[in-house]
Amino acid sequence: MTPHNDIEEIAAVWLARQADGLSDEEQAQLTAWLDASAAHKTAFWRLEYSWEKASRLTALRNPDTLADTLAETRPAPRRLTLPRWAMGLAAALAVVTVSAAFWPRPAVYATDIGERRLVALPDGSRVDLNTQTRLRASISPDGREAWLDQGEAYFDVARDTARPFTVHIGGRTVQVLGTRFSIRRDGDNVRVMVAEGRVRLSGPKSASAPAPVILAHDEVATGDGRSTLKSSTTPQRVEDNLAWRRGLLVFDQITLSDAAKEFNRYNETQLIVGDARTADIRIGGSFEAANVEAFVRLLRSAYGLEIARDGENVKISE
Amino acid sequence: MVDDEALKAWFFREVFPLEPALTRFIRRNWRNESDAADLRQDIYAKIYTAARSQLPLNARAFLFATARNHLINTAKRAKIVSFDLVADLEAAFPEATSADLDRQLTAREELRRVQAGLERLPPRCRQVMTLRRIEGLSTKEVADHLNISTSTVEQQLAHGLKALADYMLGGQGKIRRAAPKTAAKRERRS
Repeated sequence: MTPHNDIEEIAAVWLARQADGLSDEEQAQLTAWLDASAAHKTAFWRLEYSWEKASRLTALRNPDTLADTLAETRPAPRRLTLPRWAMGLAAALAVVTVSAAFWPRPAVYATDIGERRLVALPDGSRVDLNTQTRLRASISPDGREAWLDQGEAYFDVARDTARPFTVHIGGRTVQVLGTRFSIRRDGDNVRVMVAEGRVRLSGPKSASAPAPVILAHDEVATGDGRSTLKSSTTPQRVEDNLAWRRGLLVFDQITLSDAAKEFNRYNETQLIVGDARTADIRIGGSFEAANVEAFVRLLRSAYGLEIARDGENVKISE
Repeated sequence: MVDDEALKAWFFREVFPLEPALTRFIRRNWRNESDAADLRQDIYAKIYTAARSQLPLNARAFLFATARNHLINTAKRAKIVSFDLVADLEAAFPEATSADLDRQLTAREELRRVQAGLERLPPRCRQVMTLRRIEGLSTKEVADHLNISTSTVEQQLAHGLKALADYMLGGQGKIRRAAPKTAAKRERRS
């Protein structure tokens, strides 16, 4: 498999040249290249297709286009043709900003089982909430604070060195200036994973509090009770762990009992693993989090497991 | 045997308009988003080869069946673990309605899409594309107007063509630079 980038690059160069007319020799070279592989031909056609579509723009041509284009030495100011809903959103955000300034009570954002939600905070930060999550946020000129009461969230924090962004997770806190990371909380059990930048994790609050842990990208810390364990991971694992943002669960040879627990976070239908041997089966792959039925079908067809239903409960056994 | 002219017309009319749906299908069903463009290229090549003996009656069904088989086979070959495809791909077959919407972009919407695609390009690249496509200037004329070399014009045009195709067909429209070694080679040559 030749990487698509290389083929496309060559196709684009040929197409750019062809627009001016090719010499016989060049034409023969191009024909030979196209005939060499179906991938070459289809890549070339694909670019030709969109180039042809671009000719529709000649409809917009007027006597000034040429002069305007030539005069354009800097990037043109981006034309603000926001769709209506975006204007509405902007207005709504403005209201939130204003009310946040006068009313410091944190705003509450929550999701139901199986739900995902993208929250735009007034400081420009964005937070993705995973299933069954509750987050409170208070953004004001004096500071940026959020409380993850339960669930899992991915933070893309807008950089502001004057106002650190603090997330409270029970007794622990995560503090950042501007970075991307995720936090998952299950009672006192906390996992922080950093996709970009650095975060400082401190707590839990107590007389003999351990020193704060600094996490860089591709590092993860898990806190359980009083202890905090830091380890490094790989970009692939970080990506896999964030697959929920696309509605997917990615398992890398975890046990069926852990996989079932994951599915159960997202669905009313609850998977129950019947016996210890079945619970230890290793599962790998990526799955749609909401499509528990498809997962169950696969367990039956690929692993020959027994499936028994009882209302919302699905029991899996050998 | 279907000749290339008929095949090309078929790709333009039936296949490329489905690319946004195909891209979504691949993204949804494949773990690494970065493989999407390679997979798409393979799928087009397979379709081309198969359609050469006879044009399929239902391009859409054929495209997605090919895509599905290709994802399964690639996963198996790569031994990506037991079943590393999202749930069952059969269930993941995109619905006809959404794709029909993809296909029937009106001329007006298409125009807007091209325009938006052009606006996302870096300024120099956009200038070259505009002069070339809309004003119909030749490479040499563009070079003279902008006071740059013809090879720069060609390079910008090639970048622009790729980014515009990606954007119009549902991607990000980002300029993907060639691998560093290729760039180095080109510099040495000039």
